[in-house]
Amino acid sequence: MFDDFKPEDVVWIILFLPLLAAAAIGLFTKRDGKFSAQLSISAVVLTFLVSCGVFLMFKQTVFDTKLVTATPLNWLHIGELKVDIGLRLDPLSLLMLLVVTGVGAMIHIYSYGYMKEDRCMGRYFGSLSVFMFSMLGIVLANNFVMMFIFWELVGVSSYLLIGFWYEKPSAADACKKAFITNRLGDFGFILGIILVWATLGSVNFDELQQRLLKAPEAWGGVAALAGFLIFCGAMGKSAQFPLHVWLPDAMEGPTPVSALIHAATMVAAGVYMLCRVFFLFGAHSNWPAPLAFLNGVTALDLIAWIGGFTALIAALMAVQQNDIKRILAYSTLSQLGYMVMAVGLTGPTAAMYHLTTHAFFKALLFLGAGSVIYGCHHEQDIWKMGGLNQKMKITWLTFLIGTLALCGVPPFSGFFSKDDILAQAAQHSALLFILATLVAFLTTFYMFRLVFVAFTGGARSEAAGHAHESPKVMVWPLVVLAVPSTLAGFWGIDRFIGRNFGGDHAATTSWLDQLFAPFNHSPLAALFGLLATIVGFSLAYTFYAKAENDPLPEKLGALSRAMRNRFYFDEIYEWLIAATHELVSRLAEFVDRWFIAGLGVRGAHGTTELIGRALRLAQSGNLQTYAFLFVAGLVVVIWFSLK
Amino acid sequence: MILEIAVLVSGLGVLLIDLWTPADGKRALGYGAAAAVALILAYSFKLDATAAQFAFGQSYVLDGLALFFKRFFLLAAVVVLVMSVDFADRIQTGISEFYALVLFALAGMMFAASANDFTLLFVSLELITITFYVLNSFQRNQQRSLEAGVKYLILGALSSAFLVYGIALVYGTSGTFQFSELAGNITAVSQKPIFLLGMILIVAGLGFKIAAFPFQMWAPDVYQGSPAPATAFLAVGSKAAGFVLLLRLLFGVAPEIARHWKPLLIGISAVTILYGNLCAIPQRNLKRLLGYSSIANAGYLLLGIAAVSASGAAAILYYLSGYLFTTLAGFMVIAVALRQVEGEDVTALAGLGRRSPLLAAAMTLAMVSLAGVPPLAGFFGKFLLLKAAVQQGATQPAFYWLVAVAIFGVVVSFYYYFGVIRAIYWSNDASQAAPISIALPMRVALWFCIAGMFYLGLFPDAVLGFVEQAVKSLRV
Repeated sequence: MFDDFKPEDVVWIILFLPLLAAAAIGLFTKRDGKFSAQLSISAVVLTFLVSCGVFLMFKQTVFDTKLVTATPLNWLHIGELKVDIGLRLDPLSLLMLLVVTGVGAMIHIYSYGYMKEDRCMGRYFGSLSVFMFSMLGIVLANNFVMMFIFWELVGVSSYLLIGFWYEKPSAADACKKAFITNRLGDFGFILGIILVWATLGSVNFDELQQRLLKAPEAWGGVAALAGFLIFCGAMGKSAQFPLHVWLPDAMEGPTPVSALIHAATMVAAGVYMLCRVFFLFGAHSNWPAPLAFLNGVTALDLIAWIGGFTALIAALMAVQQNDIKRILAYSTLSQLGYMVMAVGLTGPTAAMYHLTTHAFFKALLFLGAGSVIYGCHHEQDIWKMGGLNQKMKITWLTFLIGTLALCGVPPFSGFFSKDDILAQAAQHSALLFILATLVAFLTTFYMFRLVFVAFTGGARSEAAGHAHESPKVMVWPLVVLAVPSTLAGFWGIDRFIGRNFGGDHAATTSWLDQLFAPFNHSPLAALFGLLATIVGFSLAYTFYAKAENDPLPEKLGALSRAMRNRFYFDEIYEWLIAATHELVSRLAEFVDRWFIAGLGVRGAHGTTELIGRALRLAQSGNLQTYAFLFVAGLVVVIWFSLK
Repeated sequence: MILEIAVLVSGLGVLLIDLWTPADGKRALGYGAAAAVALILAYSFKLDATAAQFAFGQSYVLDGLALFFKRFFLLAAVVVLVMSVDFADRIQTGISEFYALVLFALAGMMFAASANDFTLLFVSLELITITFYVLNSFQRNQQRSLEAGVKYLILGALSSAFLVYGIALVYGTSGTFQFSELAGNITAVSQKPIFLLGMILIVAGLGFKIAAFPFQMWAPDVYQGSPAPATAFLAVGSKAAGFVLLLRLLFGVAPEIARHWKPLLIGISAVTILYGNLCAIPQRNLKRLLGYSSIANAGYLLLGIAAVSASGAAAILYYLSGYLFTTLAGFMVIAVALRQVEGEDVTALAGLGRRSPLLAAAMTLAMVSLAGVPPLAGFFGKFLLLKAAVQQGATQPAFYWLVAVAIFGVVVSFYYYFGVIRAIYWSNDASQAAPISIALPMRVALWFCIAGMFYLGLFPDAVLGFVEQAVKSLRV
């Protein structure tokens, strides 16, 4: 079997190392938490190293030929439907591979410290490895079906990890909520996949692209619908309005999980998937008859507006949250909205760029928050913290770096990627540009609110007073993640990823040039972005630098309450679901009780039982009766056959 | 012919050796007999029956069909003999005679598989029936066993009377005993109503053997009363002998008449399925339950007869193969697990899952296979039978109704089959808790039956090719 070994088959190792670790932990070592953790960590570090190797090996090849596929397994072949399990390498997946394994490795190591006292450490690391396997499957998939399988696996592992502390009712509810909400989106996703297969006759990404290049008219009238249905998948995973409700609740999981899955990687899978199949979206704006009112709107328009809207409402919600993890969760929502909007504005490069930098600084922020929570003895309310800049120096510095990156302060990485998105918006839609600038302002405002309240001033509670710096195993990942959060803007990630979409980013030479490139490229976007940041910072400073409690509820009144209560989305959904659910269940109960159980089951059971008992009477045991019946039966048979 | 002679010689050998065997060694004779039969079975694979061979002036035929059934009977006999050894302590006197009678019944079945003549048909059937009169009443101190023997004797005599009367009428109208000759001028004689009446009577006689409606009355009583090994052999061997003769007669000699009788056969099949399954519902006695189940299974097998097609015949052979493993496993469990229990009630199985996981698993698998759940043998057999019936649906819509009835029967059967499983694992009132020890040969036989059930369910191709080859000697 090794005769036809190709160098790209090394990629299989990347996919299967985490699975091996998960299997070993699940089957053998689960009881030994420490050993399981070491197993899982070594697997992910090895995966990262192999990924680096693969990156160096194939960087040039994917630049030249654009696509490398590891030997596919012929998995399913029924008539027209052909599904391989194949691994695809192109700039997009190479970049994502590094992000997922790199950030993943850091968070695994961090977890070793964070989860040390949990007695279910083995289960935790086993689930984490399952997640790595599934996530890498999404990244490397070369067709829709394989991607969907791993898509669902990611959903399962996310479910397992959100509900890791399943004794807590809130965690148990949150994991169900996350899973079910995701399933809603995935239902659209699979419909989209089926529609693509039915109209274009393939599920393989490369084949689809070739077919569309050759015959763009193959779409017929369903292009926009198919695009939107596929976007539904991203809507669930990347928590876009109206399926955004699960992500804040998902913070019930352990903080490293929030960092890895619900900030850096899994939630980005939706954006990644949109970029992966970006060629499917075009300027088609015809919808099937029942959706004719959408005529003239392309799928990308819808995506851009949904993304923009999500970014705005999430940023507004973040302004009035008090739980440190929830603030970050809404910030994640908002940034994901940014990325989705960028895809909708035909800027997948900008989206992937922001995805990458966001993965670094948001993972950093979450791990920093984890460190704060750990240091403050599991206190999560920012109004009970304060003064941490003195007691947790490294955490404070790295958290500040993450914040500056997220707010888009030059020269931190977030500035460049966010600027790309703003430039994209400025180019395509004035309205969305204004919206995006507003979001940038809100982002700076709520992040510095968090920083001022939690880190500066005096300690507001006993726990914050006794805060201490976290152990080294937790601090080091923060430092390591701070490096790309600061510098990723100078690495040419946008040029690298641009090759995937045929971009023409000219290579710039010195880092100084790069620093000022945004101002040359799109001065409007860069200046407005900076302005929003400055306004946001000064407002946050005025309100919160010396505040003992939040001044906003008084100033804004009802609006503040609405923000704090997440614009009542959960309540509306709950009411809607409860009402329809009640109705449907009453109906089902009626049908079940009277027709299925009553007439069907009881009726059938009663009749058969009755007949059985009646027939048994004939079986009296009396020999004469038997002989008589024998002869009588024979007579009937003779009469029947000779009549 | 060599196979039958070998079996008869072993039977006589058992009787002779018995004379010089001390009383406490007689029981082990059964293992000797089983080994001899196993040897004969192994030898049968050296025989080649691609071209039909005849003996006794064409009254004996060795073709694919005959050879298939001979192996079938030999296999069943090996397991039944092993079971008899285990059962020996419940038989007061003459265990060697019990072994010998099993061997003689086996010889009768093997002759039946090769019958090509009404004389041999009658003689082989009588050999089977008369040995079973004795086998059924072998527990002479038990009234129920004696009752079973007497009932089988009288009703068997009645059916033999009809059979022999039918043979006389057929001979009177056609002038021949021989199947090949009769097949030659079947179109001419099938015009005569007296000939048809004769055929009906013969089929009725065979219907008694397979326990088809309306000749099924004996089955529950006899199954319940007889010693477990005898019941097992009756359920598997005697039923299969009836079917091989039905196939020979209806498919080999007179397919034209069989086609003409399709409505009748459909009716009998449907009523048999319903009767067996419905009557089994209120049953609490395990052996009686299996008696009704055996009636229902005869009904399913008649689906294949009613189809009058090669695929129907192949399906019958396949189904019987699965039925062999399933039924033998079931009776073995009954023989071992209910050793100390009076009455053989289903509740006596309570706690079997803890007392002996192997017995519990074997019984569960047997029930599940009888119910027709994949991936066990029973599922694929039922599937083939239903398929054969559906194929005929295009010409005769009544087949669709038959299939519907069969499926209804399957659904009903789940109730009582799974009732047994429930008793094994989920009943609390276990009166006994001591683990059950199983003798090694019995253990091997159980594993063998389990393996057979899975093999036929998972890898049907090999056996399917085999049975399709076997039914080539029929005229459909």
